[in-house]
Amino acid sequence: MGTLTQTETKQKVYFDLTTSPHLHSGWSTSKVMWFVNLALVPSIAAALVFFGIYQILIILTAVIFAVGTEALIQYIRKKEITWFDGSAALTGLLLALTLPPNFSLSATAIGSVVAIGLGKQIFGGIGYNIFNPALVGRAFLQAAFPVQITTWTKPNFAVDSVSSATPLAAFKFDKLITDTPALALGNVGGSLGETSALAVLIGGIFLIAVGIVNWRIPFSMIIGMFVFSGVFWLINPQQYPTPVFQIFAGSFLFGAMFMATDWVTSPITNKGMWIFGLGISLVLVVIRLFGGLPEGVMYSILIMNAFVPMINRFTKPRTFGAVKEDKK
Amino acid sequence: MKKQVSLKREFLKGVWDNNPVLKQLLGLCPVLAVTVSAINGLAMGLAATFVLFMASLLISTIRKTIPPQVRIASFIVIIATFVTIVDLVMKAKFPDLSKALGPFIPLIVVNCMILGRQEAFASKNSPGRAILDALGMGAGFTIALIILGGIREIIGSRTFFGFQVMPNQFEPWLIMILPAGAFLTLGLILGAVNIYTDRKKRLEHESIIAHYKRVGREELIEELEVK
Amino acid sequence: MNKVIQMLLVLTSIGIISGGLLAVISEWADPLIAANQKAATEAAIFRVQPEGKSYKQIENVGFELYKVINEKNEDAGFALVYDGNGFSGKIRLIAGLSEDLSNISAIEILDQIETPGLGTKITEEPFTSQFLKLETNPKIEWIKGAEPTKPNEIQTITGATISSKAVVAILNDGISRLKKLRDSGGLK
Repeated sequence: MGTLTQTETKQKVYFDLTTSPHLHSGWSTSKVMWFVNLALVPSIAAALVFFGIYQILIILTAVIFAVGTEALIQYIRKKEITWFDGSAALTGLLLALTLPPNFSLSATAIGSVVAIGLGKQIFGGIGYNIFNPALVGRAFLQAAFPVQITTWTKPNFAVDSVSSATPLAAFKFDKLITDTPALALGNVGGSLGETSALAVLIGGIFLIAVGIVNWRIPFSMIIGMFVFSGVFWLINPQQYPTPVFQIFAGSFLFGAMFMATDWVTSPITNKGMWIFGLGISLVLVVIRLFGGLPEGVMYSILIMNAFVPMINRFTKPRTFGAVKEDKK
Repeated sequence: MKKQVSLKREFLKGVWDNNPVLKQLLGLCPVLAVTVSAINGLAMGLAATFVLFMASLLISTIRKTIPPQVRIASFIVIIATFVTIVDLVMKAKFPDLSKALGPFIPLIVVNCMILGRQEAFASKNSPGRAILDALGMGAGFTIALIILGGIREIIGSRTFFGFQVMPNQFEPWLIMILPAGAFLTLGLILGAVNIYTDRKKRLEHESIIAHYKRVGREELIEELEVK
Repeated sequence: MNKVIQMLLVLTSIGIISGGLLAVISEWADPLIAANQKAATEAAIFRVQPEGKSYKQIENVGFELYKVINEKNEDAGFALVYDGNGFSGKIRLIAGLSEDLSNISAIEILDQIETPGLGTKITEEPFTSQFLKLETNPKIEWIKGAEPTKPNEIQTITGATISSKAVVAILNDGISRLKKLRDSGGLK
């Protein structure tokens, strides 16, 4: 699981027969999950500040239904009920933060049930899912309620020039560029968690600093975005937005910090992480610039999730000391 | 000479035990594509049943005349003839339905369920058995399509056979009438069917063990476990 | 050798019988199918030109165009069938136009494969009724997320902007071709 900080463990005197790995980093799944939940606090705060107190209901609904679905399915399948390990709560929270402000609570609940039920438990629970559960729920809602999920509201401190359309939609359909400071702060239309780049960065840097998130994935995504969208910007600055706009607009940073870095659905090798991150940004640039949708972070991460087993296979490091095999 | 199963079984096996959609997973292309509503499912099911019935009847009648080397070609020509008849009759008499089912009526020609029944059953059995088999398979196919179409229609557009069954407050889930909804619904139905079949098998198994214990023949239980 | 002859014989006779059967069926069905199509076109023409009583097709113009005549045997206008690209495929529609081509009497979408529940709203109220008495000069315009203010403007459907704009584009395209045709005297 990447490069965790390994705390010193005391040598034990008895023999414990287990399979590798033998050194425990001191990070249990539950502890990691609650740390990520903690890292989302700035984003939650930003959502409440910019879009109002109602958003707390969306977040609570999503979390309660996610945890409830997890417990229910584990009960039916007679598995150990792990609803307090924070992973279901995290899925619910991440889903809520990708929804538009003032989204209906019943639809939020459906999204949570689908995220946990079809995104995670149907594959066998935590660690077995191929796709990021929160994004599965989001994709389901996108297909089920396409009008509701693209109905945005103005942020609270909107000046007249700020419209309720998301910056990406404004650019795609009306060729309007939103100022970078507004984008960074989050005073623009968009999903709960994605508008404030600042809040996302605070949480993300915290996760990288404590070693939960491997810096390679977000970093490679940002580099990739800069390069790929920069190429198009250089070709035609009128037609294509600047790379800086592309990075700060939409849910790119949120996806880079919290969605793509999900331990279960991202590659485990360092080289693999680079491929994964660059792949996401390449798919995303294609969707944003040439697709019918203004935003595509969700789809690009889901698409690259599907490639993760293959990436892991082809980037498997050589065993120490082994001689490179000749290719036939 | 293998033992002949009863005529009733010949019909019923297609409805459940060997249901072409739920158990054999045959002919899934039209199953997924046309089932946006229960009426579409019913029409597609009936069209396929008619073709299956006529083709089975004809092929089992002339099964001894068809040389094995050209049997597939003969089957396809016969199936295609009936499919074209269905297509023309639908266009002439039910233009709206024909428009809704679009290219999937002509595609019945290559429905593997129909060709599969000719190859596996009609070409080896008497016409009487062949039509029972065809009717059973057709019924199973139609029922599966109505269930799938019904669920998708109720959740995706609030109606069932065109009548509103869900309240207006219910926001329809558009995904259900999109292709993704077909895959999700079919997958969940197949999962439910598998859970049910597994349970039934386990219960049967347990009752046999209980029976052996009652009559004091524990040595048979071991034999059963080995199997 | 015997086998080969049997194969040929069986396949040939199956082919001949099938062909014969289909010939009979199609003999019966073809007039009905043609009548259905004619009835559908006729119904659509009179829906977009409610005052129409009869119509005749104007030939050799490169697209489907009908001249509609009302009860008093006067010209009621035109019915134009035109198609173009939508969001996920071709949209084919029929539009009723006044005699001087300055406004639309009504439109109807004939064929489309837009996203169910979203793009398909172009076939329904209230989108279609926006085209009643809509002016076509200089061309039809669209507005997003606000009430139309101009007599030649319609509002796009939320979530289906591309399909809505496609309908407008198809209409503009067809009407401009029709106007060109009129200016060159081709409608006489």
